[in-house]
Amino acid sequence: MTDQAQAIAALIESARGQRPQSLDNREAEETLNIALALLVELSVANDKIDRLERVVAEMRGEDVATLRDIRYEGEVAEQRQDATDALLMRALRVLIDPRAQANDKASD
Amino acid sequence: MKVRDVEHAVLPRATADERSRQNAVVSLRRLLNSRVRPRNVEMYEAEGAPAFAERHGRQPQSHEDVREAFLMSPGYRMWSAANRSAQEMIWVSVGEPTYRDLERMEQATKELIEAEEKLGSLSLDPSYDPSPEVAAVDIHLQPGGYAMNRSDYDVVSGALYECGGNVFSFGQGIGRGDSKAGVIMRLLNEEFDGFKPAKMLDIGCSAGAASAAYPAEWPDVEIHAVDLGAGMLRYAHARAESLGVAVHFHQMDASAMNFEDESFDLVVSHNLMHEIGEEKRRAMIRESFRLVRPGGIVIHQDVAIRNQPTLVHEIERDWDTHFNGEVHWNTYATANLTADMIAAGFPEDSVIEHDLSALHGMANNRWYAISGRKPL
Repeated sequence: MTDQAQAIAALIESARGQRPQSLDNREAEETLNIALALLVELSVANDKIDRLERVVAEMRGEDVATLRDIRYEGEVAEQRQDATDALLMRALRVLIDPRAQANDKASD
Repeated sequence: MKVRDVEHAVLPRATADERSRQNAVVSLRRLLNSRVRPRNVEMYEAEGAPAFAERHGRQPQSHEDVREAFLMSPGYRMWSAANRSAQEMIWVSVGEPTYRDLERMEQATKELIEAEEKLGSLSLDPSYDPSPEVAAVDIHLQPGGYAMNRSDYDVVSGALYECGGNVFSFGQGIGRGDSKAGVIMRLLNEEFDGFKPAKMLDIGCSAGAASAAYPAEWPDVEIHAVDLGAGMLRYAHARAESLGVAVHFHQMDASAMNFEDESFDLVVSHNLMHEIGEEKRRAMIRESFRLVRPGGIVIHQDVAIRNQPTLVHEIERDWDTHFNGEVHWNTYATANLTADMIAAGFPEDSVIEHDLSALHGMANNRWYAISGRKPL
């Protein structure tokens, strides 16, 4: 049995030939590839969450729609909002990075 | 017999996450194929052709012009980049379970190959050097290509071909119940008075899905199947034995096979013509004529990419030549196959091109086939 990372490496390392580029810019093309791979991984994670929700709903003896409709208020709601804000900050970090804005000013 | 998504002993056992990943790639490709790719010709007209005219002071005319104009359209370029990425992710999604589960798969293969009682057989030819025009290329970006052969029980190329083929096909909208062999059996029923062979040959059988489908439907048929890759044939043989169907697999070149003249009632090939160059294709068709008995039938089936309405559509369809390792894609798409069949010896009035609907899947899924009958 090979571990997951080794299995992926074995596959990637066996590929031959050139990699033709469609976009004008190689960095943009590679970033698009990373974004699409993350999109696939997000789908895998969503699939896993869905599966767990269904298992939990069954264990609780309730409909999965009821489980998904659970709403939180007060401190828990604030913690959840904070987690969402933090996720957005991590993802959009480069848009608010002062060094990027300093670059813009320097090039003016 | 179902040929896609079939459970057998040498199939990689994917985890739940790996199955989710394959489904995600199917969905991504289905979206690109059904929602984005249909706009490519529109993008060409709206962005590519005007940009070309501005740069060159004339409209695009030749193949090279149209191709250049396509690549001047940002919309087309984004689709192209995303489609290449999705194609590569097919192989990652099936390659991870393949390499992770390989030890078990190779052990299962060894046991099936060395079993005392077998239904079919496997003849590998260690002296055969697989034709580089196929073996040296990662066709449709399958890492390592069709002829990869890493060890005495290696089955990676077969496993990648079968599993990747499923992810690819479902992403094209091809149904889980579709079968290229089934389409040919239906054609024989409808157009050839239910012709049923006693002995048949499948040329370029790859992982053996079609080869196993014929004897599953016709239990009395003696079927031989040929391919160039040892790893591919090993997988195909173990797969057929595990499924309980008799197929005799041989490692040979499609353009020069070691069977006696007029050995078969029916000779077929599935998706082979677009994987080989012009010279080898013509030699393969000549071989199919040599090997079929008088009164027997030859059917070469392939993808339905021929007869595009305009040059612009033809170049759009030719993406695979430049970005997907399908180096003979356009050679096949534009070949005069009727002339090849007649040159091989088939009487002109016996050669028929067929536009065939798929057995299952999206309504617009088609297959191409060309048939000929050897005179009595």
